[in-house]
Amino acid sequence: MKRWVRKLRMWRRGRQLDRDLEEEFQFHLDSRAAETGDSANAPISFGNATALKEACRELRMFPRLDVLWQDLRYALRTLARTPGFTLVAVVALALGIGADTAIFTIVKGAFSWDLGLDHVDRMILVSLADSSRRQDFGMSYPDFLDLRSQATSLEGLAAYRMASVNLSDNRSLPERYYCVTMSANGFLVSEQKPVLGRGFVADDERPGAPPVAVLSYHVWQDRYGKDPGMAGKTIRVNDVPHTVVGVMPPGKRFPEETDLWTPLIPDAPALQRANRDLMLFGRLPRGGSTAAAGAQLATISTRLAKQFSDSNKGLTAEVQPIGQITGAYNMRSLFAALWVAVGFVLLIACADVAIMLLARGAGRAREISIRVAIGAGRGRILRQLLVESVILSIAGGFLGWLVALGGLRWFDAGTGVVPKPVWLQLSLDGMAFLYLAAVSIGAGIFFGLAPALRLSKVDVYAAIKDGGQGVAGRRRALSLSNGLVALQMALCIVLLSGAGLMIRSTVNLYAAPLGVDPAGVLTMRINLPEAKYPLPESQVHFHRTLQARLEALAGVESAGIVSNLPLGSWIPVSYELEGAVSDPGHPRQTGALVASPTYFRVMGVNPRRGRLLLETDAAGAPVVLVNETFAHQLWPDGGGLGKRLRLAGNPSSLWLTVVGIVPDILQNFRNPLEHDPLIYLPFSEDPRREMFIVARTRVPPATLARPFRRAVRNLDENLPVYEVRTLEGRLAESRLTVNLLGAMFAVFAAVALVLATVGLYAVTAHSVGQRTQEIGVRMAVGGTRRDILRLVFAQGIRPLLLGVALGLPAAFGVTRVLRAVLVGVSPGDPVSFTLVVVVLAAAGVLGCAVPARRATRVDPIVALRYE
Amino acid sequence: MGTARQRSDGELVQGTLDMLVLKTLSRGPMHGYGIAQSIQQVSAEVLRVEEGSLYPALHRLELDGMVESEWGQSANNRRAKYYRLTALGRKKMQAQAGNWKRLAEAIARVMETA
Repeated sequence: MKRWVRKLRMWRRGRQLDRDLEEEFQFHLDSRAAETGDSANAPISFGNATALKEACRELRMFPRLDVLWQDLRYALRTLARTPGFTLVAVVALALGIGADTAIFTIVKGAFSWDLGLDHVDRMILVSLADSSRRQDFGMSYPDFLDLRSQATSLEGLAAYRMASVNLSDNRSLPERYYCVTMSANGFLVSEQKPVLGRGFVADDERPGAPPVAVLSYHVWQDRYGKDPGMAGKTIRVNDVPHTVVGVMPPGKRFPEETDLWTPLIPDAPALQRANRDLMLFGRLPRGGSTAAAGAQLATISTRLAKQFSDSNKGLTAEVQPIGQITGAYNMRSLFAALWVAVGFVLLIACADVAIMLLARGAGRAREISIRVAIGAGRGRILRQLLVESVILSIAGGFLGWLVALGGLRWFDAGTGVVPKPVWLQLSLDGMAFLYLAAVSIGAGIFFGLAPALRLSKVDVYAAIKDGGQGVAGRRRALSLSNGLVALQMALCIVLLSGAGLMIRSTVNLYAAPLGVDPAGVLTMRINLPEAKYPLPESQVHFHRTLQARLEALAGVESAGIVSNLPLGSWIPVSYELEGAVSDPGHPRQTGALVASPTYFRVMGVNPRRGRLLLETDAAGAPVVLVNETFAHQLWPDGGGLGKRLRLAGNPSSLWLTVVGIVPDILQNFRNPLEHDPLIYLPFSEDPRREMFIVARTRVPPATLARPFRRAVRNLDENLPVYEVRTLEGRLAESRLTVNLLGAMFAVFAAVALVLATVGLYAVTAHSVGQRTQEIGVRMAVGGTRRDILRLVFAQGIRPLLLGVALGLPAAFGVTRVLRAVLVGVSPGDPVSFTLVVVVLAAAGVLGCAVPARRATRVDPIVALRYE
Repeated sequence: MGTARQRSDGELVQGTLDMLVLKTLSRGPMHGYGIAQSIQQVSAEVLRVEEGSLYPALHRLELDGMVESEWGQSANNRRAKYYRLTALGRKKMQAQAGNWKRLAEAIARVMETA
């Protein structure tokens, strides 16, 4: 400790001490000279005075810090001398580091979304699965009670279901919110405590208890202006008055993105075991294991399956840690793929800088040799070179921060989804900064180490004599560079093939005929609450009136309603076909859409055969439309019109006559190229509470949003309208994943390609520079331009070929990860891969062309004098 | 980061040099050249102190608080840096001397009986 204090004191007087040292040594020399009378030989016996001084200096100065400071200044001077190199290196690194940080931020969001829960690692979800494990089933209320009372391996178990509800009161416009209806112990199990009022108590879920609700913080804040007296006030949930009893703290929205909670009060249908509409979450005790809980719940559920074989047969409970299910979990492998991709970009950038450092090092061999000759150790040289590369990478990091900011802004603009899921609310925070700093410094050491090791191993004698690294050193440096270029090319192939596949997917996605004309269509969503619209007739009446009012608006051509928009899936139904054998165990399945007659006019759809729905259908025999895929599957020889089918599960359902066959409209959102067999039920036949309203407009559709809302409010002022969007906007959103991934991969691949070309160029140019003399000789003895070109290209092509040989198999393996998002293209798509190789070859030729041209212009006379 | 320190026959092991320097300084303040000369003379030219070892050793001892330095007049009227033993240095020197004596006697006994 004292030593440090002394050192610090000395450090402040550094220059003075340097002079003292000088004088002390001079005195020593002079004294010796005086004694021996031989002033000429005194310095020789003294040895290497510079080295000695350095040794003494190192003792008293914080050697590391001090030398670091020296190295820093030296490195900055050296880098400033070659601004071109410095600029290219910093920009390459900035692209790599910036992109990496941006993706890190996105990945962090996707991976670390914590659901706002404490001890999230102890939270589990319980679901039922059949033996094939192909389908997850919900839980029934009696199942839930049995599991809860028997599961000793859990600290708590709660049930909930989720619905979107209309929230209204006497203050402001009704709004649409997500309401979680949850067993009263839910807040206890999820450890969420209110900031205002209380959570649920057991009495709240007693049948007949007065309805209560708990608000989430943001609803309390946005809708009620943080009213401190909120507890005790009355709100209407789907037109049923509820008393607000509490408000949860900010960020606490478990189990979904909840806006408000109501207690789960079992009614008569809920008490049937076949009524499985609940999801369960539970908490493990401290130190409890998921596996143990899973085993116990499986045993209990097997017992229930035996006991209640008509409802529970073959169903087993499964336990999963909650972190694996919610949020962006399904996207995680994709984000991980992106992270790897961006890591490749960074690697390529690092390789670029390493190659350039090696090439530059060839010219510095003499400088380094001189430093070694006057007493610098290898470690010192190594550190000096590393400091240089770390400075480069830190500069790259600073610039990279800007790249990351820009990239995230672009990503935000690209997603444009409102409201954003929690994990997509991105910001460059302290953690991102730490990551960037670590990546920058790590990259600097990573790409700097190989060149520095190579350069610090100079053969002093040969280097000073030749002015170069010596032939052997040169060859070693070149083969290292070639290896780096091969690596770049291999990584580039992986990225290019990923990009190629994603771009083809995007093209396929947009090229697929949707089946409707989406331009100029405005859509919105309405959910008619049961309390106010209990009867099908009242729902039909509401929509008839609304349609008439909308069509009366200026700029509206036609309006209609449908249960599912294009790419918005369908309602699964089972049905019987008249005259066909039906097996009650395996009823025929298909997808159904419920639509008004005007839906097809709004969407610009004409029947292939037969007719569309008519307003007058309600009066006559019930009808149905089928799409072409459905017709083709059932009646491949072209029949179908006039056939009758009936929805299964309800003995009172009527036979529906097929009156028309409509063209296929893409409805499947998982595979946006697949046409599913579908039937279209008239809304008057089978009204649904939750419908989309669609309208074809003569003016830009977005401009009609306000008049549409007003029209609905005039009809029912407690009814919220939500998701007022253009159809094109919705479609873009459903294609977001592919688009975004495609765009990102394309950008990364383009950057990687440019960087790899720079790398190849640097190596080829360096090799041409080194071989100027040889080229001169070849030309002098009659070598043609073509010979020289062959020489240069042969040098450039070798790493390229090696890269392709390594990269193609890697790409085949890696692109499998993308399988889930590819549209209409297989992960091993030969077209994409051929294109990748062609693009890479073109880049290779480009990288070699410039140095090759320079090589053919070598003047033999000048070249022979070159060194 | 090293300066290459060459080893030669006359070179002293580091700890030993420290001890000799401290012992020499126990007779009074002295400059670097004087210390080297003194050790050489007292040892009857057997021990030759290399400058390459002496000065780093002196500076290290100073850092460790064993010696102090100040500029003074040399015999031939030049400015010279004089080193003086501190109390800590004296204690260390005595401890080392004791150790050394025991060690030397032990070695001598072994060598004689063998």
